[in-house]
Amino acid sequence: MEQLIDFLLFRDPNVRWVVLGVSMMCASSAIVGTFTFLRKRALIGDAISHAILPGICLAFLLTQQKASWILLIGAFISGWLGLQSIDTITRRTKLKADAALGIVLSTFYGFGIVLLTMIQNTGNAAQSGLDKFLFGKAAALVQEDVITFSVFSILLILIVGLFFSAFRMIIFDRDHAQTLGLPIRKLELLLSTLTVFAVAIGIQAVGVVLMAALLITPAAAARYWTHNLYLMLILATAFAVFSGILGTFVSYTFPHMPTGPWIVAVLSVVALLSIAFGRQKGVWMAMRLQRRNRTKMLLENILKCMYHLGEKQGDFNQVYSFKALQAHRFIEDQQLKKGVRMLVHKGWIESLKEGIRFKEEGLREGKRIVRIHRLWELYLTQHMNLPPDHVHEDAEAIEHIITPELERELERQLQHPTIDPHNSVIPR
Amino acid sequence: MIHLKSNAPPALELHNLTVMYDSKPVLWNVDYEVPSKKLVGIVGPNGSGKTTMLKSIMGLLSPSSGYVKIFDQDLAQVRDRVAYVPQRGSVDWDFPINVFDTVLMGRFKRNRLFQRSSREDKEIAMECLKKVQMEKFVKRQISQLSGGQQQRVFIARALAQQADLYLMDEPFAGVDAATESAILDILQDMQAAGKTIIVVHHDLQTVAQYFNWLVMLNTRLIASGPVEQVFVPDILEQTYGGNMSILSQVMELVHKQAHPVRERRNR
Repeated sequence: MEQLIDFLLFRDPNVRWVVLGVSMMCASSAIVGTFTFLRKRALIGDAISHAILPGICLAFLLTQQKASWILLIGAFISGWLGLQSIDTITRRTKLKADAALGIVLSTFYGFGIVLLTMIQNTGNAAQSGLDKFLFGKAAALVQEDVITFSVFSILLILIVGLFFSAFRMIIFDRDHAQTLGLPIRKLELLLSTLTVFAVAIGIQAVGVVLMAALLITPAAAARYWTHNLYLMLILATAFAVFSGILGTFVSYTFPHMPTGPWIVAVLSVVALLSIAFGRQKGVWMAMRLQRRNRTKMLLENILKCMYHLGEKQGDFNQVYSFKALQAHRFIEDQQLKKGVRMLVHKGWIESLKEGIRFKEEGLREGKRIVRIHRLWELYLTQHMNLPPDHVHEDAEAIEHIITPELERELERQLQHPTIDPHNSVIPR
Repeated sequence: MIHLKSNAPPALELHNLTVMYDSKPVLWNVDYEVPSKKLVGIVGPNGSGKTTMLKSIMGLLSPSSGYVKIFDQDLAQVRDRVAYVPQRGSVDWDFPINVFDTVLMGRFKRNRLFQRSSREDKEIAMECLKKVQMEKFVKRQISQLSGGQQQRVFIARALAQQADLYLMDEPFAGVDAATESAILDILQDMQAAGKTIIVVHHDLQTVAQYFNWLVMLNTRLIASGPVEQVFVPDILEQTYGGNMSILSQVMELVHKQAHPVRERRNR
């Protein structure tokens, strides 16, 4: 607890720098990653991050230094080479993108691991900590690193802001953008270069292996909450920064904990929650919609059933017992009770000792359902050439979703009919 | 072949255009002219190269030989006078963008990459949305549109470009009858306003009624000219009939041996 307060109050000046650094890295990854995600090139981040490892090792071997900007340059160059290799293989050979991706990823990464092992075996004291690039060690960031990364992150975000409209155009409709004369190739190259940069920076926080998650997961999670690209960018950034800070805190509190996996773990929870509860296409919303549909159908079926019985006896003011209703149309006891309770609550029917009875509103609604059912049956027989004995099932479902506008349109097209295909009167 | 004798430059001229895809000829020696201010239909069976031809005209594919002239000039010089409506299925309609911003893309200019859209741009976009009767859906996300509405948004985006020549790839595909007639009205209004509209079309039933100029295509050009001269049984038979065995055998050979369709010239 005390540690949490310490952390949150930035009592340790180091923490201040680390939190700032991680926030910047995560924000730039999320923003660039949103475009990568929309380009449907989610896996490219994984390939780039693995392709970066040999660059870091070579930069160290050549300069014998660990200054972050030197390693960053090495990382950028090899990441960029990796990306260009993928593009070249895809364009020049018969291999598809996924194969090219796999080849480049494993070749570069393998080479990187070889170099890393070599470096570790040289006994060079300066090399210690280089292996942290595999899983990230944000908690070990120092002031100079943070300044370097922050400058690059801000630069990245500014460039994305500047080219926002152009990027959106080439991702949404590349052909159309090209016919407007946009420099497609250059813009795509710029976007790819930004991606490599974001990955090269983000790797310091989460490491080579998990970088793809930092790039793509924030965007994927944000997509479940909004259809608006601006909002999506803001949300993705917020998710990434939140996960970054939380992951750093764990890593700070328990020094043996690696930062990267914790950041990604938090991010994954955010993503899972988004998939489950997201406002746009979330699983929970879909289930709620299904439930609402089922309830609507239950209520309307009860009203329809009451209307049919009333129709038979020529009197809609009668009281019906549950037995009588169930004899006409079977609805399970529990469902029926639940539906009646809701209808009474709405004030559409009244519940008496012997059973239930229409109120004005309920009668109007019951009549409407029956009318739509019969109109639809007639429509199917007349316009889709179905025989009368094939239309009932269909109408049972469709009667619940026809809107008043469609109902009027149906009536108009059928020229205000009075009789359905089974010779029942269409009530109005 | 009908050649034009009037002095006004043709809206579009294809000169011996050959386009290969994966070393297979998709268009072969296609050569025709389209006069301006016409509503032109491009008709031919599936896989006859209609879309390829539009894309080549728009510079999205580079021809193996031949050239395209628009208003007697190269595409680069008249880019602002040509607008393209791709097939509806060619983009991801789940993309997070709303109707208005999509139409606003038509106002984007290559020399003002960073500029925000001006008030004039926005007014024009709104006007175009009104023309296609989509003004009520300005803020709607494109993922929530019906097929017909998506098509109208695409047409509005092209209208916003205020071009003189419009190339549309199957604007009538997969739309309901009401939308189809609404789109046809728009195209006819455009023609009356002096625009040239070239439309890839697949429904032979409506060809004679919709268009006043036709290009019949089946890898090679079958015929081009006024509808009443071109839309005749003989030419239709040539376009859709299978009587091109030698040509298709040669194409197959070219494809198998990755053979060039033109000899390399010595310099």
